[in-house]
Amino acid sequence: MSLFRVHLPILDEIKAKGLKPALRDKADDVVTRVTAGLNTAEVRGVLRGDPPGRPNPRLKPHDEGFWLHMRPTYYHNLLDGLYPTFRLGWLSTFFFAFEVLTGVFLMVYYTPSPLVAYENMLNLLSNVPFGRLMRDMHKLGAELMVIVVALHMLRTFVTGSYKKPRQFTWATGVVLLGVTLVLSFSGYLLPWDQLSLWAVTIGASMVEAAPPEMVGRTLNLLVRGAPEIGANGLLRFYLLHIIGLPLVGVVALGVHYYKVIHHGHSLPPEAEEVGVDTAKRVPMERRTYFMPDILTRELFYVSALLALLIGAAAFFYHAPLEPHADTLVTPLHTTAPWYFLWVQGMLKLGDKVLWGLIIPGILSAMLLVLPYFEVGPSRRYGDRRVGLSLGAVAVIALAVLSYMGTPYYGVSTSPDQEAIATLLPQTHPGPLRLAPWEELIVGSYEASAWSSAPTGALQDLLQAFDEEVQRVESAERTGVEGIMVIEDWQAGLKKITLRVLWTETASGESGEFSQTAYLHRDSNYGQGE
Amino acid sequence: MKWRILLGTLAIASVVGLLAFVALGERERMAGFTQSYHARQIEVGAALFENNCRTCHAPQGTGIEGLAPAINAADLFNGQRLTAIGYSGTVEDYVRGVIAAGRPIPSSGTNYPNRMPTWSQRYGGPLREDQVDSLVAYIMNWDEQAPGGAQPTAAVPSGDLAGTDISAALPQGEAESGQALAETLGCAGCHLLSTVGPAWRAEGSQRGIGDRAAERILQADYTGQAASAEQYLFESIVTTDAFVVPGFEPGIMPANYGQRLGKQDLADLIAYLLSLR
Repeated sequence: MSLFRVHLPILDEIKAKGLKPALRDKADDVVTRVTAGLNTAEVRGVLRGDPPGRPNPRLKPHDEGFWLHMRPTYYHNLLDGLYPTFRLGWLSTFFFAFEVLTGVFLMVYYTPSPLVAYENMLNLLSNVPFGRLMRDMHKLGAELMVIVVALHMLRTFVTGSYKKPRQFTWATGVVLLGVTLVLSFSGYLLPWDQLSLWAVTIGASMVEAAPPEMVGRTLNLLVRGAPEIGANGLLRFYLLHIIGLPLVGVVALGVHYYKVIHHGHSLPPEAEEVGVDTAKRVPMERRTYFMPDILTRELFYVSALLALLIGAAAFFYHAPLEPHADTLVTPLHTTAPWYFLWVQGMLKLGDKVLWGLIIPGILSAMLLVLPYFEVGPSRRYGDRRVGLSLGAVAVIALAVLSYMGTPYYGVSTSPDQEAIATLLPQTHPGPLRLAPWEELIVGSYEASAWSSAPTGALQDLLQAFDEEVQRVESAERTGVEGIMVIEDWQAGLKKITLRVLWTETASGESGEFSQTAYLHRDSNYGQGE
Repeated sequence: MKWRILLGTLAIASVVGLLAFVALGERERMAGFTQSYHARQIEVGAALFENNCRTCHAPQGTGIEGLAPAINAADLFNGQRLTAIGYSGTVEDYVRGVIAAGRPIPSSGTNYPNRMPTWSQRYGGPLREDQVDSLVAYIMNWDEQAPGGAQPTAAVPSGDLAGTDISAALPQGEAESGQALAETLGCAGCHLLSTVGPAWRAEGSQRGIGDRAAERILQADYTGQAASAEQYLFESIVTTDAFVVPGFEPGIMPANYGQRLGKQDLADLIAYLLSLR
């Protein structure tokens, strides 16, 4: 008669077994379902480190569960600790998850529009509990992730783990490295401050150089959404950052992980015969089972890393936030993000197209297909002298090129501007803004007479200024003077003018370069943002 | 295994501890950031003021009579000025509104016939919203120490009023006191410091006002009644629209100088103008 019939088996069981045993069995059932195969007693055994029964019931979750089917059931006991893999691949995944979680928090407070993006940052910092912590952790995690992923690749190269049968694993790894770099780079633009605008402008201008001209122009329009970065460009970078690249990353990560399980972790090169891969034939006595040993280790790593990251972001690391993006003001010494400095360094070697696009393109392509043409069978260090040397040369070259990418190399700016930029840099607060405000005593000071300045802070500033001013002195420019004028300008506000004066030897005319800064008592530049 | 469990538990405890520590300090940190960001807005605003506003409002915002009023002035911050014009919002809103939208129409009845340009990009100006906010922060920072307000415009002058009858006889004028008057009355704002009114001084091929005055009355398009250079200047000061020099707008120059100047003052001014050749 009833429209539908409800049958609750638990009621039958309670009737049959009594309330307590029935509920206990039910709870056990739920645990088994959630863990994909382990009942309560077994979970307890795992946590206590008891030896498993036979057949090992702890292999079931690897077989039936989604998450653990991506993890191996056991490791070779040569690989179960931090050495020799340093768990860098696992760490990369950890940071990926970490970035997703902190990123979702930040997304809540962010609108990808040049009109409000910067204001969103201010709101995040001034009005959102844990806002700064989350921003700092996201940025710190991003920087560390780039390092960890790069080191992971380096380790794989050094131990020869890219060789047969893991060529494709390596290739997906190179894709993931690219995803990591571009993810980090695309996130740079989002705060819409001077740092982000100019770092990304430098990066995006590479695209524009692609030959022929029509391709470059079209690509540039696609990336920036307009000839210059604006509302469309920001939206595109945002979507790339939060959807496009993470999607590519998840797909590549899935393949990468599957391949790792499929082929097993490669053993240290000296642990197996040349040309033989024994990763999937680990003797019983050399196995370290994922459950419980690897799992508890990883849980430990997660908790320790979280504590370290939160501690670092709370006390030491603060993501920078520069003034609002301004397309009309190019700061002196803008650079690409540090992990792209090597490209900027190569650009200084010559032609933009050749050194900025063709050569980095060829290098990336070579990296991608490396295992397919470097087919020497041995993974042992002694047999790979040429390869390892080339690797070392590549690392050193990257370091040198990165140095060349910094403003310290091959950028011709006038020494008068440099002298003022020493005290008043345009890409970070610098010594003048960080100097104690009270010690900036109103008056007019000559850099050469720094020792007679009334306060210690002023003496230090003027001495640093004097050293730089002396570099302006040359055959063309004589009688160089550096002057700092401090005026009271408003309540709590001082106006500081830095001037470099000289006489042109050729014409006898006097020249001058000056810059003004206003400093408020409370502006507090010492906190990063 | 045991040390790992111990360390792991410690790590989790320290995560909780760290988060609690951060949480306890958040209120203060957010207030600190708000304060330091406000301070940086003032710094940015100071530079913007220097680049955009000082030419009319003077370096310290004390205004230039005839060109632009004082904004570093107590009567702005204590609300007198807003009451006088019937503005019911806050001083900060008023300042922001005027900066953003400018003054499309010169304020009538004041000594400031210049239009203030719009500054916000929203209304076609050059500044972003955050820059307008920074300027407002800088201007509002004058609040505490603003000097006593705009100088009161001179009361009814002593002696006979100049009136508007240009045939009336004037006493002997003195160029030096005329020059001083030109500054206090604000004439300089339009005729010397900006191009709102015809320039008095000789510029390029154009001669000074002293020479031009005699020539104007002979021009075919001259619409006034003056018969001499002195009368032309008299007329231009008291009946401002009797003749508007081609290329300039009528109705810009205040038309009340006949009631604001005494005969002696007017004579001094004319003497000064005639000396500009």
